[in-house]
Amino acid sequence: MLTCTTTVLLACAGFVLQDVIDVRNDLNDDLEALGSMIAANSNAALTFGDHKTALDVLSALRTRTSVFAGCIYNDRGLPFVAYFNGPPVALPARFPINADGFVQGDGRVELFRTIALDGKRVGYLYIASDLRELHTRMKEDAQFISIILLVCLIVAFVLSSKLQRSISEPIVELAAVAAQVSREKDFSVRVGHRNMGDSNEIGNLMAGFNNMLAEIEQRDRKLTVHQAALVTTVAERTSELTRANEELLIAKNAAEKTAAVNAQLARESALILNSATDGILGIGLDNRPAFANPSAVRMLRMRMEDFDGKTIHEAIHHSRADGTAFPEEDCANTITMRGGAPIGMVDDTFWRGDGTSFPVEYSSTPMLDETGDHIGAVVVFRDVTERRAIETLKSEFVSTVSHELRTPLTSIRGALGLLSSGLLGPVADKGQRMLEIAVANTDRLVRLINDILDIERIESGRVELTRSVVDAQAVVDQAREGLQSMADAEGIRIVAEPFAATLWGDSDRVIQMLTNLIGNAIKFSPANTTVTLSGSAGATEFTFCVADEGRGVPEDKLASIFQRFNQVDTSDSRAKGGSGLGLAICQSIVTAHGGRIWAEKNEPAGTRVQFTIPLARPSAVSVINSVPQDAVAERGVPSVLVVEDDIDLARVMTTSLQGLGLRTFHTASGCEALRLCEQQEPNLIVLDLGLPDVDGFAVVKSLRKRPALRHVPLLVYSALDLGSADQSRLRLGTTEFLTKSRCSPTDFEAHVIRLLGTVTTVKDSQNAA
Amino acid sequence: MPPKQILVIDDENDIQEVARLSMQLTENWTVLSANGGAAGALLALSSEPDAILLDVMMPGMDGPCTLRVLQQQGVTIPVIFLTAKVQPADRQTFMQLGVKGIISKPFDPLTLGRQIREMLAWQ
Repeated sequence: MLTCTTTVLLACAGFVLQDVIDVRNDLNDDLEALGSMIAANSNAALTFGDHKTALDVLSALRTRTSVFAGCIYNDRGLPFVAYFNGPPVALPARFPINADGFVQGDGRVELFRTIALDGKRVGYLYIASDLRELHTRMKEDAQFISIILLVCLIVAFVLSSKLQRSISEPIVELAAVAAQVSREKDFSVRVGHRNMGDSNEIGNLMAGFNNMLAEIEQRDRKLTVHQAALVTTVAERTSELTRANEELLIAKNAAEKTAAVNAQLARESALILNSATDGILGIGLDNRPAFANPSAVRMLRMRMEDFDGKTIHEAIHHSRADGTAFPEEDCANTITMRGGAPIGMVDDTFWRGDGTSFPVEYSSTPMLDETGDHIGAVVVFRDVTERRAIETLKSEFVSTVSHELRTPLTSIRGALGLLSSGLLGPVADKGQRMLEIAVANTDRLVRLINDILDIERIESGRVELTRSVVDAQAVVDQAREGLQSMADAEGIRIVAEPFAATLWGDSDRVIQMLTNLIGNAIKFSPANTTVTLSGSAGATEFTFCVADEGRGVPEDKLASIFQRFNQVDTSDSRAKGGSGLGLAICQSIVTAHGGRIWAEKNEPAGTRVQFTIPLARPSAVSVINSVPQDAVAERGVPSVLVVEDDIDLARVMTTSLQGLGLRTFHTASGCEALRLCEQQEPNLIVLDLGLPDVDGFAVVKSLRKRPALRHVPLLVYSALDLGSADQSRLRLGTTEFLTKSRCSPTDFEAHVIRLLGTVTTVKDSQNAA
Repeated sequence: MPPKQILVIDDENDIQEVARLSMQLTENWTVLSANGGAAGALLALSSEPDAILLDVMMPGMDGPCTLRVLQQQGVTIPVIFLTAKVQPADRQTFMQLGVKGIISKPFDPLTLGRQIREMLAWQ
């Protein structure tokens, strides 16, 4: 309102000022025009001094009410005629010369003007006018302005109050709503709908505000939902965390317990290691000892620091038993260190820190960590000085006793044999009978000694099982043949079923067992009975059965008859001429073969003794029967030279090798072996030591001299366990040793495959280089 | 065909005698005998028998030693070991020394000659 008023007043003041200026200018112009007109009309009268005319002219001033005085001066400036509208006023006494123009002031306007005639000044004119017109005009203007102002104000008030409703009100409402929203955080309120339809800015603003609120409300709702979800999630997570925490706590407790148990175990392990009487050495991948238990320290007379960075071989295995140097590359231990298979040595020598040595039995086993990585080896060793001495003593004793008994028995047996034969002359009947008894009992004594030796050897593991593929029918036939005369003499019938099986065993030993068992059956059966031989093949083993119809074995003795000198009736040993060791030997032989032996009651009478012998693997058998000879002549297939003078064994080995898809060459002669090697370098040599011409040692010695053959892998296949000195004399390329009696076909094949595997690897790396 | 001449080398006189009697009676061979390896080797070199029956375990020069001496002297007379050692490993070792056969003690006096004939492939 104030703004409006001020604006209007200012505008009016402008107008008034303009008006006043205009009025004044008009006044001046009027005066000027009046003056000019009077001057033009009065100049003649003035010239001629005609006062009357001049006065008439001057009286024209009447038309202007505002002019209150006029005067014409003569050329000397003295008043000529004067005019007054109203009371006379003082006139300028003398006309100021050269004062043409207006003089304003003191509520009046004065015109001074020169009156000229033909360019010659003839007098002067003075006109005085008041400002009444101006004031009147100003008064009118003031009234007008007041009216305008009043009207303006009224209009403005009306307009503003009108506009206020349509502009301010919504804004105020908007403000109030905004305040409410901010106060109550209630986004559901809306600005009134009254103005919503308006398409003006306010309407838009409202709509926008409402949209904003709606948006905020929606967001708020989503936020609430999210918040709720978040709260739920947080709660879930919290409970999960709590659970996890509890589990962790449990696990921690368990771990602590485990740690305690582990610590206990570690203590126990340490105790075990410390109290073990065997020496235990832990060896790292660098072949250097990383650990030695107290027994190892004591036996080797070396503390850990005494190893002084030496490899295990340099420290304790540097020389052979005879004191000659033992190169590390020949050492089987080293091979194990490099990731080979576990090895066991029963006859080797370790050297002490003080330079002395002792015989040792040891095993070296690769040490693997949890992930199966090779991290070293554990060597467990035992000083076998004492055991060696005892074994030697026992062996010597048995052999000495055996020899010492045999020598006199030889004389006795020979003398009695000659006597009883009648070659030395006739002997009386009774004497002859006595001689026969003496001969029989001498023979029995010899058998007893033989059996004692036999059983001692089998049980000490020194018996040599010469295993091969054995035809069951053949061994049965052979045993039966040897006993047929005895059976005939006793009036016993031997009935044998067909034996269609192939065994893996020592045929001589199997025949020995069968002979023993059939012999027993014959001995303990009455005349006119039958001894039945039968057999059945299982999955991996064959069961022989020898059944008699004799008096049988009491059930409580069925198990004990396999013990030494344990005959059912002690009088039997004398009556039947047995040593009492036959079944014990059978048991030893069967056990050495990995089989079992047992006795049971035979129905209706007698005893059945059964034993098992492993079956030969089907592949070996089928190869023998089916592989054509020329099928092995392919090129590019690894070739194996088999040097073995036992033809049967050689046949088993070659068929086994051919079964592996290998080419094989066989010779029984060492010289021939060398010749074959020179003709064509084999990928592997399988070498027996006892050969008819030159032995295995000589063959290896000759092969070592030939550069091309120096690195051929070698599998030494010997009847006896070899000492380390012998082993080192036999090394060629990668060399492994097999003892015939302890080797199954699977072992043999495994060694062959491993050795051929090393060849392939070596050749590959050479090619790569 | 003249009768075969056999040399028995053993440190036991009883055994020498039994063996000699056995072969004389069953085969009608001439049998020389020597007590111990050294005497046996000398007798073998001087008498050149058709075969030598040699005991293995003897004090002094044992069977293998006597055999080696004979082989070093270029003697090619077939040698058969007569031994109380019966282990197969021993047999194998002995056969590698170059003997023609091994007869274990005690022997049957009635079949001794036949065993020798079979080993040496005599009729």
